[in-house]
Amino acid sequence: MDMDMDMDDLYLDNIDEFVNDQNKIVTYKWLSLTLGVHVNTAKQMLYHYLEQKRRESSGTPLHATYLVSGKFVENGSTCHKVSVVREDKLDAVKAKMDVTISVHVYSVQRAELKDSSPLYSTDYDAVKENLKNCSKYSAIRCAAAVPMASVELQKAQEVALVPPVEKEINKPRLNENTSATSKPSTKQPTGIMGMFASKNASKSQESSKEVKTEQKDDSSLVETSKTKPASKANPMSNFFGKPAQKKVDEKPNKSIKEETDGDSAASTTASVKLSQPSPKSEFAIKEERSKVSSALKAESKDTRNKSKRPEVVDSDDEKMDNQQKKRRRIKKPQPDSSDDEVVPDSPPVPTKQIPSPKKQVKREPVSHQESSEVKRRKRRRVLKSHTFVDEDGSFVTEKGYVSESYSESEEEPEPKSQAKDSSSLKQSFGKREEEKKEKSQKKTSASNKSTKQPSIMGFFQKK
Amino acid sequence: MATLTRQDLNFGQVVADILCEFLEVAIHLILYVREVYPSGIFQKRKKYNVPVQMSCHPELNQYIQDTLHCIKPLIEKNEAEKVVVVIMDKEHHPVERFVFEISQPPLLSISSETLLSHVEQLLRAVILKISVCDAVLDTNPPGCTFTVLVHTRETATRNMEKVQVIKDFPWIVADEQEVHMEEAKLIPLKTMTSDILKMQLYVEEKTQKT
Repeated sequence: MDMDMDMDDLYLDNIDEFVNDQNKIVTYKWLSLTLGVHVNTAKQMLYHYLEQKRRESSGTPLHATYLVSGKFVENGSTCHKVSVVREDKLDAVKAKMDVTISVHVYSVQRAELKDSSPLYSTDYDAVKENLKNCSKYSAIRCAAAVPMASVELQKAQEVALVPPVEKEINKPRLNENTSATSKPSTKQPTGIMGMFASKNASKSQESSKEVKTEQKDDSSLVETSKTKPASKANPMSNFFGKPAQKKVDEKPNKSIKEETDGDSAASTTASVKLSQPSPKSEFAIKEERSKVSSALKAESKDTRNKSKRPEVVDSDDEKMDNQQKKRRRIKKPQPDSSDDEVVPDSPPVPTKQIPSPKKQVKREPVSHQESSEVKRRKRRRVLKSHTFVDEDGSFVTEKGYVSESYSESEEEPEPKSQAKDSSSLKQSFGKREEEKKEKSQKKTSASNKSTKQPSIMGFFQKK
Repeated sequence: MATLTRQDLNFGQVVADILCEFLEVAIHLILYVREVYPSGIFQKRKKYNVPVQMSCHPELNQYIQDTLHCIKPLIEKNEAEKVVVVIMDKEHHPVERFVFEISQPPLLSISSETLLSHVEQLLRAVILKISVCDAVLDTNPPGCTFTVLVHTRETATRNMEKVQVIKDFPWIVADEQEVHMEEAKLIPLKTMTSDILKMQLYVEEKTQKT
């Protein structure tokens, strides 16, 4: 790569000023947006700066984080893992990978970061300012990723309100969900979905089935549906190739609870991710998406963990075979996706409603599957925090995901087995400063609450 | 957005709300970054669209909330000059003081629609600066505690002593030793200026901490 123009010493002084004088965290993405250079150039710049400073070994110590991606075998299944690691953990993480595909400097800073939040904050404003062209310097390209014209977008959104042909549903739903992010790159599903829907809904059952399953992927938040992307994504992933699988962000230090929910191997999601400039902005999008908690947030981390899940695919196919031409797929809004435009109540329709858990903690076992066969039934995972004093006199806070099932029409509450993920923190009361963190998973008996929780997504809509 | 002026009590409340929310996040973050409490009690939450660390300990949270609840009336009336988070070692000698100097312009008006998002952006920047402050500060000795001081203008505290805003949560005049630190280094962290609020954050750090 010929970068002589960029690689003069000025940039080193620039970076030096940012890092040492201003005590900033310089991520490669922030640097690329600030200096107006390609991300790969920015990565090289950071690397050279780091090398130079380390060689001089004078002045204040610098800390760096790295982005490592490679093949990783977990529980017998291989996945592609991308993670941001601190320098001191770099070798350990590299050793754990089967094949290390890429390693590059993610950020340079003076402070030794305790957690990854500042990394996100650093990029947030820079990306926000450059929202329209945040992928200008990115290395990831997708020809079909073009923003929708506003007229088209409006039309698509109106269309979403009416139970239409499924082709149109794909577009607006994806757009609605992603429009919250207001990133042009995420509107490109029209292009890609357009390819599949291919302008006539009565195309071969195959493709529409594919579209449907894909759509189901999007709309379902049950872990069961994770298998679908795995299997159905094959034609899709062939289309996109390797990068489609790639986009999983993992912050090693602390588990990012809800924000990693966007990791989906569903190809639409992959296609959305494909056009994003970097894992970081994908993280931003995931943040936004998790706010909207859209159908795209189907699986939490299955790209990393493709362990066996109960197959629902067959039942899906079955259902689809039964569908006639005019499929009425009404998107059931997730409890926490607050798209008010979407029609929440649908006329009785043979389409099945896939229950949807709300958020998932990483360590949640796959095994707690709720049945997905029930119509118009939703499940929601609600994080409940319960603080009490145990026998030692120490405070225990248990945070558990309780899967609450409720149905839209509040007709038939069904008892389902639930899994409760709890991480309990023991906190000492007074001067004792020890605590332990335990994570345990239990199955608890189902609770038959059919109360609807008010959606908090209303706040985020206003933005 | 309507144009509100200082005379509207509503406006003072808005600013006080924003500021107290911010101070709550900032105090939690300071406790996390300076390792006053073990990091296990903190969990990631979201504020101003970025992740921040907040504590889960109910007593600690309650204490911080009560503290800010009492400070709020002072801010509403623009009587609070500084809010200081003092970190003290085992012998109750202050080792670090995070000083938030606050001032509100006398004649304020909210005229811009993007004002609040601008303020949010500025507060986000302050939060970020707190996150990286450990680069410029020395490590604290183990076993530190913290306290919150408020410096007010004129005689506002006399009222505070008379009227307990929260029951059983009295405010007392701070000891001289907590207020002044010998051999202090001054490290500025961040300044923010906006239409409704001006804030400066700096750290007074004891040169020799142990």
